[in-house]
Amino acid sequence: MKTTSFVLLVLVVAVLMYGTADIPKWGDPNAPASNHVSPYYLRHSIEDTATPNVVTSVLADYRGYDTLGETTVVFTAGMACLLLLKRVKSGGKDDV
Amino acid sequence: MLDHGPVLAVGIPLMASFLCPLIGWWRKRACYAWAIISLFFCFLVSLHTLHSVIQGGTIRYRLGGWMPPFGIEYVVDHLNGMMLVVVSAISLLAVVYSGKSVEQELPDRRVYFFTVFLLQVTGFLGIVITGDLFNLYVFLEIASLAGYALIAVGEDGAPLATFRYIVMGTVGACFYLIGVGYIYVNTGSLNMEDVAGMLPNLYHSRVVVTAAAFLLAGLAVKMALFPVHTWLPDAYTKAPSASSMLIAPLMTKISLYVMIRILYSLFEPRFSVTVLPITEIMIWAGVVTILGGALMALAQVDFKRMLCYILIAEVGYVVGGVGLANDTAFKGAVLHILNDAVMTAGLFTIAGIVMFKTGSHRLSDFTGLFRKMPVTMAAFVVGALSVIGVPPTCGFFSKWYLVHGSIIAKHWTFLIVLLFSSLVSVILFFRVIEIGYGFGVSHGVHHGDGDERKIRFDEAPLGMLIPTIVVALALILIGLYNQTILSKIIDFTVPGL
Amino acid sequence: MFEYLVDYYNYWMFIGLMAIGFYAMMVKRNLVKKIIGMNIFQSAIVFFYISTSVKRGSVTVPILEHSAGHDAGHGIDIMHYANPLPHVLMLTAIVVMVATLGVAVAVTIMIYRRHGTLEEDEILASVRRR
Repeated sequence: MKTTSFVLLVLVVAVLMYGTADIPKWGDPNAPASNHVSPYYLRHSIEDTATPNVVTSVLADYRGYDTLGETTVVFTAGMACLLLLKRVKSGGKDDV
Repeated sequence: MLDHGPVLAVGIPLMASFLCPLIGWWRKRACYAWAIISLFFCFLVSLHTLHSVIQGGTIRYRLGGWMPPFGIEYVVDHLNGMMLVVVSAISLLAVVYSGKSVEQELPDRRVYFFTVFLLQVTGFLGIVITGDLFNLYVFLEIASLAGYALIAVGEDGAPLATFRYIVMGTVGACFYLIGVGYIYVNTGSLNMEDVAGMLPNLYHSRVVVTAAAFLLAGLAVKMALFPVHTWLPDAYTKAPSASSMLIAPLMTKISLYVMIRILYSLFEPRFSVTVLPITEIMIWAGVVTILGGALMALAQVDFKRMLCYILIAEVGYVVGGVGLANDTAFKGAVLHILNDAVMTAGLFTIAGIVMFKTGSHRLSDFTGLFRKMPVTMAAFVVGALSVIGVPPTCGFFSKWYLVHGSIIAKHWTFLIVLLFSSLVSVILFFRVIEIGYGFGVSHGVHHGDGDERKIRFDEAPLGMLIPTIVVALALILIGLYNQTILSKIIDFTVPGL
Repeated sequence: MFEYLVDYYNYWMFIGLMAIGFYAMMVKRNLVKKIIGMNIFQSAIVFFYISTSVKRGSVTVPILEHSAGHDAGHGIDIMHYANPLPHVLMLTAIVVMVATLGVAVAVTIMIYRRHGTLEEDEILASVRRR
C-alpha cells in the first residue's frame, strides 16, 4: 500500500511539474489572469456597485451567487454535524 | 415567474431546506410532507424548463443580471435539460420512498435527515445546470458534504466507509479545483463558454493539457472509475436505504455529465482525439471497469453490494461509449445515462424494501420473497431485464446503440466486453430469482417455513411500493418511447465530431 | 537556472505542500493525521490561487481610492492594484475547506464513539468482530 501510494504521489507531482513549465511567470502583469476579466471589475466597481473594495463588490455583487453557495455549504455542514452527532436520549419522550 | 425556471429549479429545494428545521421544530412529522411538496414543485419547474429548451433551444439565464463572463450564467441545453428532469424525478421518487424507511432506520433524526436530503438535491441540481466552472465546484461540495452525512448515519461500518469516501472525494474535488486553477491562470476567465472560445488557441500549452488531465482525474474519482472505485461499494452498501436510493443512481451519473461537458463543451471534441489520447484511455478504462464490476458482482453474497458493483460496471459503459468517439456510441452513452439512473433507482428500491421487511440485504434473505411480495418482485424482474438488456425495457436500446457504435469504430474488445457483461448480469439476476422462489435453498427446515408463510401476503408499504411501481413502468415506457426521446432530445446533444 | 527558480518558486512551493498533504492522506493510519493531511492539501490549492493574483512592481490591495462620479473609472490604473478575482474564489474555497473539516471530524467522533480507537487497522478489526 505504501509503495503504490508513493508511486501515485510521484506520478501526480511529475504531471504537475510538467504542466508548470510554460505557466505565466509569477507576478507577470501581462498574464491573462490579470488582463481579461479583472480589469472590468477594477474599472467599473464604483460605477456599478458604489463600493471601493473590489473584493467585496465581486464577492457580493458580481459573483454573489457563489457566496450564496458558500453560505449553503456552511449550513449543510452544520446540519450534517447535527444529523451525525445528535445523541438519542434513551427512554426519552416519543417524537410526534 | 417561470422565466426564472433555471434558478427556481435550484432555488426551490434550497429555500425548502432552509425552512425544514423550522417546520421540524413546530411539528416533526411535517418535514416528510414538506420535502415531498417542495420536490414536486421542483420537478414541475424542471419539466417546464426542458419543454422550453425543446421548443426554443438553449436557455441562458444571467444571475444578478451581470453579463457573462463578469457574472455567473446558467446555460440549459438539451443535455442539461434531460439531466435536470432525471435528477428531479428520481429525487421526488426517493423522497416519497424514504418516509417509511427513515421511520424504521433513523426514527430520531427525521428532521435533519430531510433537511440534508433537500440540500443534497440542491447540490445535484446546481451541478447540472451551471455554466460557470467555479460555481460547479461550490455545488459539487454542497452535494458531497450532504452525501457524506446521509451515508454516515447507516449501519455498523458506515462511519468508517464514509471516512474513506471523504478522503477520496475531497481528493477528487480538489483535483477538479486544481484543473480550474490552471485554466484560470492561462485564460483569465471562469465562464465555460468564454473559456471554450479561448482554449483552441492554447491547446499547445502544457498548462491546458495538465488542466484537462486534472479535471478528468478529479471526476474519475467522483464517478467511481476503476481504479479509484474502492469507496463506492462500502459507502453505498452501508448507507440507509433512503440515502442509497437517492445518491446511488445520481452521483455517478452527474459526474459523467460533467465529464461530457468538459470534453465536448469546454474542450473541442478534437482535443480528446488528437491533442491528448483521452478517448483511447477512456475506452480502456471503460473496458476494465465493466470487467471488474461484472466479475466482482459475481462474487458477492450481499444483494446491495452486488448492485454497487453493477453500478460501477454501468459507469464503464458510458465512459467507453463516450470514448468510442462516434455519433451512435455517444447517443447510446447519453441514453444510457438516462436509463441507468432509472434502473439503479429501481433496483435500490427493491433492496430497501427487502431491508425494511427482513432487516438485512443479504442474498439469502430473498428466500421465498417472490411468493410473499409479488408486486415488488415483478418490479425487480423488470429492473433485472433492463440491466441485462431485454426489449422492450430501456436497457436494450442503449446497449444496442453502444454495440452499434463499437462495431462502427471497429473496437472489438469493447464489443466483447459489452456482451460478456450482459451474460454475467443474466447469471446474477437469475440467481436472485432462483433464491426468491426458494429453489436455491438447500436446508430442509426452510422449505417447511416457506410453505407456511406462502399463504400470508406481506407486501411492502404503499409509500415504498408506489415509487417502485413508477420506476418499473418508467423503464418500460422509456424503452417504448426511446425513438421520441432520441429524436427530440438526445440527437441535439451530439457535438459535431 | 536561478531565474527559473525565482520566477516560478510559488508553483514549486504549491507542489511541495500538495505532495506533503497528499502523502499524509494516503499513507497515514491514524484518522486525525489523514484529516490534517487533507487540510494541508486544500491549503496548498488556496496558496496556488492567491499567488497568481500578485503583480510585480508597486502593487497595492484591490481597494480603490474613493472617487465619485461615473467617469472615475477611467482614472484607475489597473497595474496599480492586485487581481481581486482569486481572492474572491479562495474566500469561498476556504469556507468549503473548513466545512469539509467539520464534517470529517464529526464522522471521526462517530467512529470513536462506536469503536473507541482512531487507528484504521484497529477499527477494521473492530468492525469485523461485531
